[in-house]
Amino acid sequence: MIGVLVDNLRLAFGTFLAHPLRTLLTLLGIVIGVATVMTMMALLEGLRMKVNKDFGQLGANVFRIDKWPQGFRFGGGGIDWNKISRRKRLTVEDKVAISEQCPSVLRTSASSWQPGEVLRTAMSETGRDVFVIGATVEYPETSGITIASGRAFNEGEEVDGRRVAVLGPDVADKLFPSLDPVGQTVRIRGRPYTVVGVMERRGKVMGLFNMDNQVLVPMSTFLGQFGLRRGVSISVEALDQSGVAAAMDEATRLMRQRRDVGPTADNDFEVSTNETMAKSLNELSNVVTAATFGVCILSLLVGGIGILNIMLVSVTERTREIGIRKALGAKKHRILLQFATEAVVLSLVGGVLGIAIGFGLAALGRWTFGLYTAVPVWAVAVSLLMSSGVGLVFGIYPAARAAKLDPIEAMRAE
Amino acid sequence: MLIELKDIRREYTVGGEVVRALDGVSIGIAKGEWVAIIGQSGSGKSTLMNVIGCLDTPTSGSYRLNGKDVARMDDDELAGIRNREIGFIFQNFQLLPRETSLANVELPLVYRGVSARERRARAIDALKKVRLENRMTHKPTELSGGQRQRVAIARALAGEPSLLLADEPTGNLDSATGEEIVRLFEELHQAGHTLVLVTHEPRLAARCPRAIRLSDGQVVGDGPGAEVAWQGVARP
Ligand SMILES: Nc1ncnc2c1ncn2[C@@H]1O[C@H](COP(=O)(O)OP(=O)(O)OP(=O)(O)O)[C@@H](O)[C@H]1O
Ligand SMILES: [Mg+2]
Repeated sequence: MIGVLVDNLRLAFGTFLAHPLRTLLTLLGIVIGVATVMTMMALLEGLRMKVNKDFGQLGANVFRIDKWPQGFRFGGGGIDWNKISRRKRLTVEDKVAISEQCPSVLRTSASSWQPGEVLRTAMSETGRDVFVIGATVEYPETSGITIASGRAFNEGEEVDGRRVAVLGPDVADKLFPSLDPVGQTVRIRGRPYTVVGVMERRGKVMGLFNMDNQVLVPMSTFLGQFGLRRGVSISVEALDQSGVAAAMDEATRLMRQRRDVGPTADNDFEVSTNETMAKSLNELSNVVTAATFGVCILSLLVGGIGILNIMLVSVTERTREIGIRKALGAKKHRILLQFATEAVVLSLVGGVLGIAIGFGLAALGRWTFGLYTAVPVWAVAVSLLMSSGVGLVFGIYPAARAAKLDPIEAMRAE
Repeated sequence: MLIELKDIRREYTVGGEVVRALDGVSIGIAKGEWVAIIGQSGSGKSTLMNVIGCLDTPTSGSYRLNGKDVARMDDDELAGIRNREIGFIFQNFQLLPRETSLANVELPLVYRGVSARERRARAIDALKKVRLENRMTHKPTELSGGQRQRVAIARALAGEPSLLLADEPTGNLDSATGEEIVRLFEELHQAGHTLVLVTHEPRLAARCPRAIRLSDGQVVGDGPGAEVAWQGVARP
């Protein structure tokens, strides 16, 4: 039994080596299909791992209260965006109330932001892509920000609406490549801010949103510059992990009360934990995974037709060989097995090449775009399984044709 | 009797017309005999050889090989019989072009389920018998015509079959090489092998102890080679 397998494998690789280029070309469908799946899975898995890590870093005891639903959605998801836009904004007063009136809450912070800003010094300027965050003093704690040099702004500066700023490391590197930024002045829309500190590097959330290209300024200063009627987003940190549910409960009840929500009406605000956000991302990535597999099945189908084609060619070209083998005593199932093994080996070669290319592309993405990628083991297994399955399904018909050949006729062929 | 053919008929229908390639052939061949089958082109020699070699099943008639009724066996059973009982030496060698002499000679043993090690040993023995031990790793394209025919003979011998069947074994060879092959057959005959060879050359048939002459699918002569070979043929 093992002997038969070894003989057949040797024959299969023999054919492959006899026409390497021709075979590789017909395998392209499978190679591309598998490479696509591997690359997509590597990206998604990397994203998933990174997100779970990033959200984990933000602290397990923190949840957020927002006007807008948070997280990632595929399509509209049946959300009435019109209705949401008519909701009242959240305010710093709400934040203070939660802090004061909810016993399970350790601390709260409020933040508001303005994307796409430019920071300037006399010497240089950043791109039009800096994320300006106005926040209360607790924000670094609730958001997992640590200060690398200098300090964060303090309560007094917040109350007075001082123009002080904490720079993200990318902003600091860009504006002050050779200078200590602390004590320097930067301008946001013409207004001067004194740099008091620089944040520790944090990287990108999901490899997409750059957490280091930010500037943190006091909330009151931010509202003064960008508009007093802006809503805020509130982060709430519970006393400990077991208190998260209670804190959520208390904060929700308080907010309903403050916003006059009727006893039977739905919340007119959103409460989300990092976990729910991570979960919504995982759901999204499941949809993408399914879609990728759809694409992959299509290209595997194309690959399968390639296998069918090359095996039919192979059987025709080797009619004489088949005739000789049968004349010398090969039974039908031996010939069938020989050609089926060959088809499976061929498509496995395609699968392995595809996997290698997938790993290569994932590494390329990592080195050139700084994407976080990780090839999941199950994707390798599924790719191998699928490509050998394709070989078997599409190789059976040519193999059966070979097995049925009449030895006399076959030996006469040229 | 090793081979017992009774009233064998093999008919082909081509375009609605029936061609009787074998038309009631009855012959017996005993173990250890060396028999030539001779006849004009189209007389049915190859058809008869295919039937004897279990490559083809007769339309009617009975065929017992080594006591077994093979006329009613299915394809896979016949494959088993061919593998164990018959050593083929085909007209144009029919070697696998991509394989070495050794691998070619091993082939019948592969399908008999002999282990790789034993297969190799027996193939080497067979190649030694045809004096090709120094060409074992050559491929057919790297061998002369006579050497290829010897590989084909070694392959037929490797399985130690009851019967060696050769179709025009010298047909593609020059006379010197042909002579060399005939000598080899003489040796094999002396060693006790049963040999049936198809030829259209009276000169070769004349050297066989027995010859059977076919004409239009019927046996028209059966006797010592020297007599039957020249039957109805102008002696040069
Ligand atoms: N597959 C076939 N289909 C139809 N007719 C066939 C087939 N094979 C052989 N025949 C016919 O059977 C007859 C005998 O053919 P066979 O090949 O046995 O002759 P042969 O004696 O071997 O001739 P040669 O010396 O030319 O090889 C011929 O008339 C041939 O046309
Ligand atoms: Mg013939």
